[in-house]
Amino acid sequence: MASRAPLAWTVAGLLAAVALPWYALQEGLDSGAWLPGLWASEDHAGGLAQILVHGKWWLAPTLATLVACLVVSLVPATRERRGTWLVIASALGIAAFVAQGLAIGLRGWSAEWLATAFGELAGRQVGIGAGAAVASIALLALLSIGLALRGAFGGDAFVAGAITTVTASIVLFTAWPILRILVQAFQNGDGVFMPALLIERLAAEKIWTLRCLWGGGRCGVAWNTLVLALCCGAGTTALGLAFALIATRTGFRFKRTLRVLTVLPIITPPFVIGLALILVFGRSGLVNQLLDWSFGIQATRWIYGFQGVLLAQLFAFTPVAFLVLIGVVEGVSPTLEEAAQTLRADRWSTFATVSLPLMRPGLANAFLVGFIESIADFGNPIVLGGDYGVLSTEIYFAVVGAQLDYGRAAALGILLLAFALGAFFLQRRVVGQGSYATISGKGDSGLPTPLPDAARRAAQWVALPWAAFTFVLYGFAFVGGLVKVWGRDYTPTLDHYAKAFSIERTADGLLWSGAAWNSFWTTVKLAAIAAPLTAALGLIAAWILVRQRFAGRAALEFATMLSFAVPGTVIGVAYVFAFNVPPIEITGTAMIIVLCFVFRNMPVGVRAGVAAMSQIDRSLDEASATLRGRAPQTLVYVVLPLLRPAIVGALVYGFVRAVTTVSAVVFLVTAEYELATTYIILRVINGDYGLAIAYSCALIVLMLAVILLIQLAVGERRLGRRIAPPLGGRA
Amino acid sequence: MSVEFRNVVKRYGTTEAVSGIDFTVESGTLVTLLGPSGCGKTTTLRMIAGLELASEGRILIAGRDVTSLGATERDVSMVFQSYALFPHMTVVENVCYGLRRSGLAKDQAVVRAREGLATVGLTGYDERQPSELSGGQQQRVAVARALVLKPSVLLFDEPLSNLDARLRRQMREEIRELQQRLGLTVVYVTHDQQEAMAVSDRIIVMNAGRIEQQGTPRDLYERPATPFLARFMGESNPARGQVRRLSSASIRVRLGETEIEIGNTAAAEGEAKIAVRPEAITVEAAPGPAGALPGTISKASYLGTHMEYSIDTAAGTLFATCPRVERPLVSGDKVALVLAPRGVIVVES
Repeated sequence: MASRAPLAWTVAGLLAAVALPWYALQEGLDSGAWLPGLWASEDHAGGLAQILVHGKWWLAPTLATLVACLVVSLVPATRERRGTWLVIASALGIAAFVAQGLAIGLRGWSAEWLATAFGELAGRQVGIGAGAAVASIALLALLSIGLALRGAFGGDAFVAGAITTVTASIVLFTAWPILRILVQAFQNGDGVFMPALLIERLAAEKIWTLRCLWGGGRCGVAWNTLVLALCCGAGTTALGLAFALIATRTGFRFKRTLRVLTVLPIITPPFVIGLALILVFGRSGLVNQLLDWSFGIQATRWIYGFQGVLLAQLFAFTPVAFLVLIGVVEGVSPTLEEAAQTLRADRWSTFATVSLPLMRPGLANAFLVGFIESIADFGNPIVLGGDYGVLSTEIYFAVVGAQLDYGRAAALGILLLAFALGAFFLQRRVVGQGSYATISGKGDSGLPTPLPDAARRAAQWVALPWAAFTFVLYGFAFVGGLVKVWGRDYTPTLDHYAKAFSIERTADGLLWSGAAWNSFWTTVKLAAIAAPLTAALGLIAAWILVRQRFAGRAALEFATMLSFAVPGTVIGVAYVFAFNVPPIEITGTAMIIVLCFVFRNMPVGVRAGVAAMSQIDRSLDEASATLRGRAPQTLVYVVLPLLRPAIVGALVYGFVRAVTTVSAVVFLVTAEYELATTYIILRVINGDYGLAIAYSCALIVLMLAVILLIQLAVGERRLGRRIAPPLGGRA
Repeated sequence: MSVEFRNVVKRYGTTEAVSGIDFTVESGTLVTLLGPSGCGKTTTLRMIAGLELASEGRILIAGRDVTSLGATERDVSMVFQSYALFPHMTVVENVCYGLRRSGLAKDQAVVRAREGLATVGLTGYDERQPSELSGGQQQRVAVARALVLKPSVLLFDEPLSNLDARLRRQMREEIRELQQRLGLTVVYVTHDQQEAMAVSDRIIVMNAGRIEQQGTPRDLYERPATPFLARFMGESNPARGQVRRLSSASIRVRLGETEIEIGNTAAAEGEAKIAVRPEAITVEAAPGPAGALPGTISKASYLGTHMEYSIDTAAGTLFATCPRVERPLVSGDKVALVLAPRGVIVVES
């Protein structure tokens, strides 16, 4: 058994090196056109032929190590010794593979100093294809098997493989792009490394100017971003606290309705709130029309700018703060409040001196979550920002606009990343420091103390109208898609839906003639591919992090958490930089979009998985192990059946966030692979609100349907007590 | 011999959980690892199971070196403290689990599982969910699940700690009876010395990652080698005394104003640490027989089956139990203590 696995992987790697085209094909692998040219054609040849016939000598070391692995797998040896040799050979192979991939690109040597060191190079190479991919995966597998044979990772090859897979994919698709964007910021248009350039770019007046303070124009985008984020953080925290207090500490009758609020932002494309605000407050919105009609006040564009974006973000992110704070408010043990009351404190001083201080870390956490959401937000600023530029929109215009300045985009990306990571680390410190959580497993913990009257009234006066208005906005967003031209002609119509989703019956069968079908099906298809991958990778990563002990575990956990904090815009730009040149050349393909979905949303799957898995007693895994269940069997028969709720959660998140994301993929879509959100954004920018709204509503319906479908497909987990229902996975 | 540890060390980072232990478990015996929490006994058990791999040393099971093998590849099975029954499977599915993973066909596995359930007296519970069973029944399912694999060694990790006191006694008798009936080799972990004494052929007492002493229950109770052991195995009064050797097999111990002659081959002459078992102290009304230790009752408690007294004496405050409850003494009474030789132990000389 132990020696068959390395043999199988070696053979797979060698086969791929001989019988699959080594490099990426223009026309794709499925055409089959490469088969006849497998030896003779430079574009289609396999790895061996590339070395022997086409002069690509630099591939030889990689293939040689595969041959070495073959020898190691066939020669009889002890377990440990075989492992050692496999590790050495495959590690060398991977090193050789990575080195040649990075060193040699489309124009020969990829850097000046390489050319001077080794002389000019006759050959050149494009991005890796099927052959190279399989060969490198085989080498990674051999490395894991070798490590396991030597007794690492509990001597389990499956665990070793899972850990290397997760690590390698995070390095490749999260760390590497971000590293690339860092490098890009130092380079000029020709790729020359100029450290001074970053300082120049970051010091630009457009970023840091404070002119708006003394009336001489607009402030820099960095200040705009920060001010907006601070306001958004403070506002969402205050509103979220009001909601949380009402939901837990008053006799309010419609608590369940309030809970619905927390679900809405998850299934709403990020700019729907912005659209609805335009319908109400925009130039031809209801309010302006009313003012015009009743007082003759000229319609204004006041909604476009700071106030509009802030309003939209408050509406969009208050539910998130609510979700964070409801846990915090519930976590304040009523026993402590009862203790305070027996010590002669009245309700108000109990609230002020015990309850509120206990919630302080939670409030800080909610604030930072609002802050991070705000700086990462792209949909609302692009729809409502007007002249008020923030970093995320500025990056967008630097890449897709007339400027086409990648270096500037990279520099702005770094700045945005710095803000996000700064807030992220602050949040970690706040959450990590002195846990004030006072929930214990003890039975009776008393009754929650009702809010003092003044606080209750304040909370209700703020929160309830706000909640009502949120529902009203959603209502308008729905109605907006059903009238001819909002503001001018309120005739009910299905035209917008027809324009987007019409199907005609023709002689050739059904013709999907609606304008939205193309992007709709692309979105559904890519999201459906990405969701299971996201869930699988996320849960595997969670399983590794919770259940396995290995060197570097903390680093891996940190890396998955970190990618959570990277704003989508930064990821999008980073993907463009990292994957439009060899060795991985996938810009413009569907694959890059799927990868972006997977690695953007994986951290959510990880968090959900970690939360769920921490609640499953570790001894169940160990029991399975002592009962002859190997790691993969334990995973399939014990862990996964108990993780059903987390699987549903990860699948739903994986799908829904793939459908609703804008910021990251806006840089990656092409005419061929257009996504629903990017299509809608373009319609909004063109002022075609009716279609945009109709399309958004269709998306919401689609997501609700998919959520139900996933719930049905995965089913309920069947068991009695022992395991508490997992908490919502959003951080 | 069935399990053998040779100088096994387990480190987590820089801390040593187990520092160099040697022991063997003979085939067909029940050996208990006993010690306070954090002494390394559970780590040791998990190293037998293969759930932890040793940092140093060798581990042999049934004569085979298994040091670098994981849990799946070792011929052992384990009953967990929390039972670890899979909550999404029925009782019979739980018991079948290990058989199926060992490659047995489903119907054969079910037959074997039924036999296993019958062995622990749970015939007819096949289709129940674990959550529908009482604690003791869950315990039996866990035992059956481990038993059906016919492992060379069966491991128990504090199996009784989740049961109430009455059930604990019954289950420990069942486990012992099963072990003797089937001739199983069992390694058993507990922190309860009474439980250990009741079930074991041999006991290995661990403290701070090392083996303090090993032997039969009687050895450990009557001849504890260290003050720790005297305190841990049953109750004892620590005291200081003078040892004078009488012959190669006996010594005379002077405690306060009393002297007792006891059998001992090892203790050196001079000042020594003495342990006095509370049940070896007979409390008489003063003045008592000649040579008795005079004292004053400082505390008296009535416990139904016996009295407990704290007595101030020249050898320190001694704690004694007394079966005579019908005429209790009260605080302040003058008494004379007679010490039985079997309960006076030299623990360090």
